[in-house]
Amino acid sequence: MEQKLIQGSKQFLNALGEVDQKLELLQSHILDMRVSCDEAEAQLKLTNDASKSLLERAGSLREQRQEVEEKKSIVTLFLARFTLNEEDIVALTSRDVPVGKLFFEAMDKTEQIRRDCRVLMAGEDGPTKAGLDIMASTSSYLEQGFEKISRWCTNEFRELGRETIIDVTPTLQEAIKRLRSRPELLTEVLSMLSQIRQATLLSSFITALTRGGPSGLPRPIELHAHDPMRYIGDMLAWVHQTIAAEREFLEGLFGLKSDGRMVGSIRRFDYRGEEEEWMQELLDLAVGKLCSPLKARVLQTVRSQESSIVSYKIANLLQFYMVTMHRTIGEKAIVSETLKETTEVAYKVFHDAVDAQGRSLMRVPLDPDDPSLTPPPPILEHAQILREIMTVYHSSMLGDESNVGQATGFQDISNAMVDPAIEMCITSSAQKKQIRPKWDQSVFILNCLCYLQDTLDIYPFTSGKKEHVRSVIQERIALLIQEHFADLLTKAGLQALYQTCEACPVDEPLSHAPGAQPPEVKVALQKFSAWLSSPEVVQSARLSHLTAQRLHAQVHQAALGRLAKAYRRICDEVRNPKNRYEAGSTLLGSERPFGQAHLLWQIFGLHEDAGDDDGDQ
Amino acid sequence: MPIDDYNTEATELVETYDFLMKYIVIGEAATGKSCLLHHFTHNSFKDHSQHTIGVEFSSRLVKLGEKRIKLQLWDTAGQERFRSVTRSYYRGAAGAILVYDITNRESFKNLSRWLADARALASPHLVCVLVGNKSDKEEEREVEWSEASRWAAENGECLHFLEASSLTGDNVEAPFLLAARAILLSIESGILDPEKAGSGVSYGDRALRRVNSSSRLSFGSFSGSRRKKGTLKLKVQNWVPGTRCC
Repeated sequence: MEQKLIQGSKQFLNALGEVDQKLELLQSHILDMRVSCDEAEAQLKLTNDASKSLLERAGSLREQRQEVEEKKSIVTLFLARFTLNEEDIVALTSRDVPVGKLFFEAMDKTEQIRRDCRVLMAGEDGPTKAGLDIMASTSSYLEQGFEKISRWCTNEFRELGRETIIDVTPTLQEAIKRLRSRPELLTEVLSMLSQIRQATLLSSFITALTRGGPSGLPRPIELHAHDPMRYIGDMLAWVHQTIAAEREFLEGLFGLKSDGRMVGSIRRFDYRGEEEEWMQELLDLAVGKLCSPLKARVLQTVRSQESSIVSYKIANLLQFYMVTMHRTIGEKAIVSETLKETTEVAYKVFHDAVDAQGRSLMRVPLDPDDPSLTPPPPILEHAQILREIMTVYHSSMLGDESNVGQATGFQDISNAMVDPAIEMCITSSAQKKQIRPKWDQSVFILNCLCYLQDTLDIYPFTSGKKEHVRSVIQERIALLIQEHFADLLTKAGLQALYQTCEACPVDEPLSHAPGAQPPEVKVALQKFSAWLSSPEVVQSARLSHLTAQRLHAQVHQAALGRLAKAYRRICDEVRNPKNRYEAGSTLLGSERPFGQAHLLWQIFGLHEDAGDDDGDQ
Repeated sequence: MPIDDYNTEATELVETYDFLMKYIVIGEAATGKSCLLHHFTHNSFKDHSQHTIGVEFSSRLVKLGEKRIKLQLWDTAGQERFRSVTRSYYRGAAGAILVYDITNRESFKNLSRWLADARALASPHLVCVLVGNKSDKEEEREVEWSEASRWAAENGECLHFLEASSLTGDNVEAPFLLAARAILLSIESGILDPEKAGSGVSYGDRALRRVNSSSRLSFGSFSGSRRKKGTLKLKVQNWVPGTRCC
């Protein structure tokens, strides 16, 4: 049993020893493993350390790549925004791309780039190199673009400028608008346009003057050179119409909407935009070129007129156009200046003609064999010319003149026409009177003056001259009243008696004076009484030759009034005891009107006061 | 009258046109010439209108079918004292708008003289339109429509007639368009050559451009091409867009 136990134990021991061995093996394995593990771990750690920097590097690379990507897109965007692409450059510089939409877009883009770039460079860091580069390159392209526009415009004008009327295309309008930012190019282009327009309008004008339309219609203006009004009118109308068309062309060129104003109506010159200045200058130069042929022809026509009326019509026509031009293109325009000069010359020619007319009138002597007292033919002809001149003056009114202005405007003409006529009537009639003493000069002068007054009476603007003529007439009436009174006094037989009354010295009785002694007084009163029954009391044969009937009455009544006063004076003197008439009242009472002056007033049909007034005048 | 077919349009900003036509507006004083023209160009009645002094100018673009036509309009004074001035403006007009006042027989009586004057002085193929103005004043009428119509018929082929009112704007555009249409027909049939100075008509840029692209003129609503070949010698070289810049 023991044995068995020992054997068993032995076996157990063996088995355990085996186990122990195995365990030991295992342990050594484990140890090995551990070492390996440690190694591996160390290795791992090492590796780990090593790869960490790699990872970091990879990460940073990735970041860098991202940054670069971003930068790249920014740069692309930047480049797209700040540089011109190939197409743009071609559009700007090449002859192959026409000036048009593409070209203008490229221009716009270039300018946008420059604007943006300027904003960028205005930052704190100051101008960058890229910025400067961009500015430099775009600047060159932009200038090429402007050069291209200006060359194109020059070409365009060279082609189109020869047409009489030009239609402005939107492209041309746009081109000019863009050139506004390059004044030197614009000036160059417009100067060329101006020269072409000057030549074109001048040659059209000459064609219209000398050749007319094709196949002769409309007829050349010069065909009517014999009709001065039509000739000058047609030329000026042509110029006026050309101005309107040219102005429309320029408004189109500068893209100005017409202000809806009618040409010919008053233009306000207070607003002066740059375009407006350009337009005025171009218009002025283009149309100004027409002045020299226009002026030569107008002046030639003006100077070759013989009739003062035609001269006057021409002067008025020129003035009408001068006013029209002042209102449409201003007073400073060359055409306006030329019209002003020619108008002045035309008026000078007219005034000279009128002066000559006046002088020649004064040289005409009156026919000494002609007994008539009516205005003579030279005066009638002269008045007819005056009448026609007045009609022309009246029709030249624009309707906006004041009455005073109208009268002032006519003053020179009326002086030049009427004064010589008045003088001629007076001086020539004095000469005639010397040759033909019985001829009634006073009535003749009054008849002539009244005729002139009636001639002036047609229009209100002659009021100043009419007043003058009226005052001359009044002087002449006063003289005639004096003459007529003396006539009446003689015819009535009171002349000697009245003169003695007037001349008698105070200290001597009148009845002692020769010519006023009682028998002489009696004879005079008898004669006066007889005269009172004659028709002369009612109407004077002499005054019946006055063409103005109211003057007849006026003069006659005034003279009668004086006669009545003379009679009263005589009565007073005869009744006055100082004059020592015996029975003075009886002497007076023996003949009509019986020493009663108021009866005489009644016979004459006058009021005493009125008679006084007229007599005093 | 089928005026509505004409399809008029207000003036556009960029005024290129196919044709430019010169018109004169004539007739006795106070018949409403300036008002008619004012209504046509401004589309409103001109109140407190003064007598026209001499001549005044305005222009308007109209559309007739496919054609854009620029009308150069010369408004003349009717007063006798301006006659010598205004007659000078008849020269080379393509169209004349002859205006009388239906409420004033006096303004109708002298029409023959006005017409004779215009025909003697304007373009040889002058187109005239007789306009009886103030048609709004029916109660004051002194000239009957039938009488004026008869007068127009008796006075030549190129004379159209209608009544209009520059107060209400009734028929105000019609005379201008009628004349333009008649002139276009003359051009199309070769009677009138816009290339010739003095015809009162000239080509605009638009027509020239079209000629360049299609090498013939088509007349839109008037496209029945009766035009003889070779009657229109156009200066094609005048418009070659872009090919010769720089």
